[in-house]
Amino acid sequence: MEKEILEHGLNFNRRRFLSRLSLGLGSAALGSLLVPDLFRGSGADEEGFTPSIPHFAPKAKRVIYLFQNGAPSQQELFDYKPRLRELMGQEIPPSVRGAQRLTGMTANQKEFPLVGSFVDFKQYGQSRAWVSDLLPYTAKIVDDLCIVKSMYTEAINHDPALTFLQTGSQQGNRPSMGSWLSYGLGNENKNLPNFTVLLSRGIGNGQGVYSKLWSNGFLDSIHQGVQFSKGEDPVLYLRDPEGMNRQERRAMLDNLAQLNDLSYQEFGDPEITAKVKQYEMAYRMQTAVPDVMDLSKESDDIIKLYGPDCLVPGTFAANCLLARKLSENGVRFVQLYHQGWDQHGNLPFEIAKQAKDVDQASAALVTDLKQRGLLDETLVIWGGEFGRTSYTQGKLTKDNYGRDHHPRCFTIWMAGGGIKPGMVYGETDEMGYNIATNPVHVHDFQATVLHQLGLNHEKLIFKHMGRRYRLTDVSGKVINDIIA
Amino acid sequence: MRNKVIGLAERGLFASAVFILFLLLFESRLEIPVWLQPVGRMHPLLLHFPLVILLLAVGMEAFRFNKVYATNDFYQVFSSNLLLAGALSAAITVIMGLLLATEPGYTGSVVQWHKWAGVSVFLVACFIYWFRTKPWYNRAIAQTGAACMGLILIGAGHYGSVITHGADFITEPIIKTQRAAPVDFQQAMVFNDVIKPIFEQKCTTCHNPDKLKGELNLTNAEAIRQGGKSGKLFVPGKPDVSLLLRRIHLSTTEKKHMPPSGRAQLTTAEIRLLSLWVKGSAAFDKRVADLPVTDSLRFMAAAMFKPAEAAKPEFTFDAADDETVKKLNTDYRTVAALARESPALAVNLYNKAAYSPNQLRELSPVKTQVVSLNLTKLPVKDADLSLVGQFENIQKLDLNFTDITGKGLKELVPLKHLESLTLSGTKVAYTDVRDQFRAFKNLKTVTLWETPLTDTEISQLKKANPKITFIAGFDGDKSAPIKLNPPQVRNSSVIFSQQLPLKIIHPIRGVELRYTTDGSVPDSIHSAILTSQKMVDQSTSVNVKAYKPGWFSSDVATFTFYKSAYKPDSVRLLLPLNPVHQAAGAHTFFDRKLGTFNANSPAWANNWAGFRKNDMVLVSLFDKPVSLSSVALRVMIEEETSIFPPGTIEIWGGENEGNLRKLTTLTPDMPVKKSPHELKALVTSFSPQSVSCLKIIARPLKEIPAWHPNKGKQALLLVDEVFIN
Repeated sequence: MEKEILEHGLNFNRRRFLSRLSLGLGSAALGSLLVPDLFRGSGADEEGFTPSIPHFAPKAKRVIYLFQNGAPSQQELFDYKPRLRELMGQEIPPSVRGAQRLTGMTANQKEFPLVGSFVDFKQYGQSRAWVSDLLPYTAKIVDDLCIVKSMYTEAINHDPALTFLQTGSQQGNRPSMGSWLSYGLGNENKNLPNFTVLLSRGIGNGQGVYSKLWSNGFLDSIHQGVQFSKGEDPVLYLRDPEGMNRQERRAMLDNLAQLNDLSYQEFGDPEITAKVKQYEMAYRMQTAVPDVMDLSKESDDIIKLYGPDCLVPGTFAANCLLARKLSENGVRFVQLYHQGWDQHGNLPFEIAKQAKDVDQASAALVTDLKQRGLLDETLVIWGGEFGRTSYTQGKLTKDNYGRDHHPRCFTIWMAGGGIKPGMVYGETDEMGYNIATNPVHVHDFQATVLHQLGLNHEKLIFKHMGRRYRLTDVSGKVINDIIA
Repeated sequence: MRNKVIGLAERGLFASAVFILFLLLFESRLEIPVWLQPVGRMHPLLLHFPLVILLLAVGMEAFRFNKVYATNDFYQVFSSNLLLAGALSAAITVIMGLLLATEPGYTGSVVQWHKWAGVSVFLVACFIYWFRTKPWYNRAIAQTGAACMGLILIGAGHYGSVITHGADFITEPIIKTQRAAPVDFQQAMVFNDVIKPIFEQKCTTCHNPDKLKGELNLTNAEAIRQGGKSGKLFVPGKPDVSLLLRRIHLSTTEKKHMPPSGRAQLTTAEIRLLSLWVKGSAAFDKRVADLPVTDSLRFMAAAMFKPAEAAKPEFTFDAADDETVKKLNTDYRTVAALARESPALAVNLYNKAAYSPNQLRELSPVKTQVVSLNLTKLPVKDADLSLVGQFENIQKLDLNFTDITGKGLKELVPLKHLESLTLSGTKVAYTDVRDQFRAFKNLKTVTLWETPLTDTEISQLKKANPKITFIAGFDGDKSAPIKLNPPQVRNSSVIFSQQLPLKIIHPIRGVELRYTTDGSVPDSIHSAILTSQKMVDQSTSVNVKAYKPGWFSSDVATFTFYKSAYKPDSVRLLLPLNPVHQAAGAHTFFDRKLGTFNANSPAWANNWAGFRKNDMVLVSLFDKPVSLSSVALRVMIEEETSIFPPGTIEIWGGENEGNLRKLTTLTPDMPVKKSPHELKALVTSFSPQSVSCLKIIARPLKEIPAWHPNKGKQALLLVDEVFIN
């Protein structure tokens, strides 16, 4: 008996113990004398917030985030700076450069000669937005896009910047944007994970993408991002082992659920019920996932729209097509990462290939959502973690140069989901180094995305270890000017 | 001693009464020296003492004649002394207040009211103190005096706080929410509705007729035109030189920065509005709507007058019962409120196999609340649409890729609120839908992509229904042809022992693959068509190209298949591998896995065995003698990273290790400067020999050629596979 008591004690973790204890104290009216909520573990009912229902009527129901990992150079894609070509080779004025912190890669560089884009730009659509010749397909859909040229961030290296954009903090361990949305909005389709992740890689210099970027942080683990990989098993460990059929799997799950239920009654740990739910979902995913992943029924129109690579698993085009299929099936947040945008050197060659990899499929995704009547309720975001410098990294030659990391300005675009179409928001200065008008901080961007999904970024909070956490941390304001 | 102190205090009280009267009389002629001004400014600090002390004292005074207290010596003495202390502190406070009032900026009726209330407090306190011992001073007078004192104190306090905090300080939060009633854009005035509110929020607490800091009043147009002590506020049309904006733009550390640090600061948008207003010559009587459309001020103001939320459709129906909604939620049907406290519900159905019309029938308890319904990709029939017809408030209906034909659309006509209908991927026929859309009153968008409808039919629909946007979507047949992507190989290994069926496929349906094996580029006429029956029984390089009508042909894809007839029964390396290129040791060469160029891929580290200092000396033993005529090494050649083919390859064979003879020697060709990297099988051939033991010696290049940056150094040799035939 003594042993059982000891084991029972060990099964209580500290936080559960404290939260139970606080209930006891509360009933003894002592709780009111303590700091309110001192021991309350989760913020589930934080200020009347009911997770999984939006705060107000949303414009968008789902998000597809085409993350261009490595930081695409805005000077070669969207931010047209003819002046940079005129100033080619001249040192960037110190007044422009200011006290900007540099990366270890250019900190010791003696000269910072400005470099103009090797590629030409033209104006397109009714919005007359400038788009580079590297993005011919994107150029055709500018009237559906809201191009934000004045994004800025705080970090100067990939991992912190990426983590900042995804979780609102540079340090990690916080829930990713998709997890927050899953927490705030709940499932639309209970047979697929709410937050899925798709990876692809271009030919350019790549940067790591780690699973911490789609972590649920301190939120319940059902909000974690699920990676769909390109192989025969898109979701790992989902397939039944050989020799096991559907009925046997069902029977096994039923029995397991009974055992888990016993265990729940004994310990009362909510993670046990979460686990049971996850088993059930996995069971339903066994039929839902192959159905979504099946590209064989896509029409020729679709293949021509996304480009022939969309049927080659693991390419960006295939991931865009899959993203559309997942989103159409009610997945709240589909996160794509396309690696290879880190052009410190050899930029003209690499960026052309990178752009070619993503251009057709990115534009196709927007067109495809539109022709299905889904663009209104799906927010598509395209962009990297920061921008690139107006001066060259390394040696500037006649036809080759590189650009270093630049947090002070970068360009992203958004489409659908109640964002104003055919708009260019924010401008940088003539050297493309500082923001001239309408700066948009990463937290402002996040606040705006949440707003489109019917969530107030100041109210979407979770209390953890005594602090109320938000995706936007302690700042951020909704950019009303870009909301339709 | 005690009496001495009290006496002193009483004389001080009298003296201060005289002094106060003097100040009141000669107020307008006073000139307060600078060193005395701080004393005046301590008025707001000290005033709390008389306030509290006097309230307490007159409270005790009111009950002085009670039987119990009248005989209590301590009560009597204490209340008397408290009153004296209160009166004295009131005197000091009043003096300070009068000094402060001489400073510029304290004019206006509120200051006057405050002044006289304060003085009255002092006078009433003196009156009570001096006459409380007189025989005619009775209970009624004491209580009236106490009540008077209380009222005057409240009055003085109130007016004082109006001066420091402004009139609406306490009620402001309430008023603010009430103020929300938006001004109509057409009526809005530039000054009254855009500029004045800024002043009211951030400036008029100090710059009002009562406080007049810097002799500036910002509460009305006339006073604003007039300016303050430092002059006119602005030069119309020139925000850069205007005092108003100069003060605002000063650094917050500057004393003259406005609003003063510690007070609510102007936002960038507010500063911009003020600046634009001055630039536009600071007019007071212009309507916002009269400004040119391109005017920045108008642009910014337009956002202010836009109703806070674009009029959301107000749902007039009641919310459904929570329990009912909960029950309707199943694994394949989600029923969820649009937002918190919204009665409207969104319904999504999933899973073809789980669908039946019953799923729609079951929704009848919430039929009024459903505003959006998603049936995409479900086998919904025309007949089922009559069930959809029950959702009287539906706004968005998704029927993409369902089995409907358009005949059932009339069932949807009663849905008065339907705005968006998606029909992409359905079999709707023109004859069925032609006359249907007219009946829909509120319909705004219809998607018709991938339907049998032709362009002409869609444009006729557009003509007949100008209010509806018909989305036709992307038609691949009309777009410029694009290039097919190259074919792919699906064989699990390209290394085989006898023969191998080629599994070369193309992901796109209906693609024709044509191939050659002689190294030439396949063409669409003469080259053979690749079928799944195609086998290879020799090491072969296959060139394949993909063709499909309406597409450009793909690039040539080259796949090399290697024959390796014999696998040794045991292998070992006599000399160790390069420490950083271990791969799977001696087994690497017969594991049928090939390496790649990409050094970041696992296939690189796992499959390339490397040699630099030591020669590759591989001994392979066969249990039964085999007849060999060729041995090949697959190597990587990449001069850029100093990876070269071996200088020489020697093949030795015999019955056992002690009895070997050299079968052949090969000196591979070396790459030249800038030659592209390649993966290559270096083949040695010899007359057929029966061997049980085979020894392969490959020597890494001793000296890198002179043209190379690493000239003279030893090159790296990378081998991933050995083929024995």
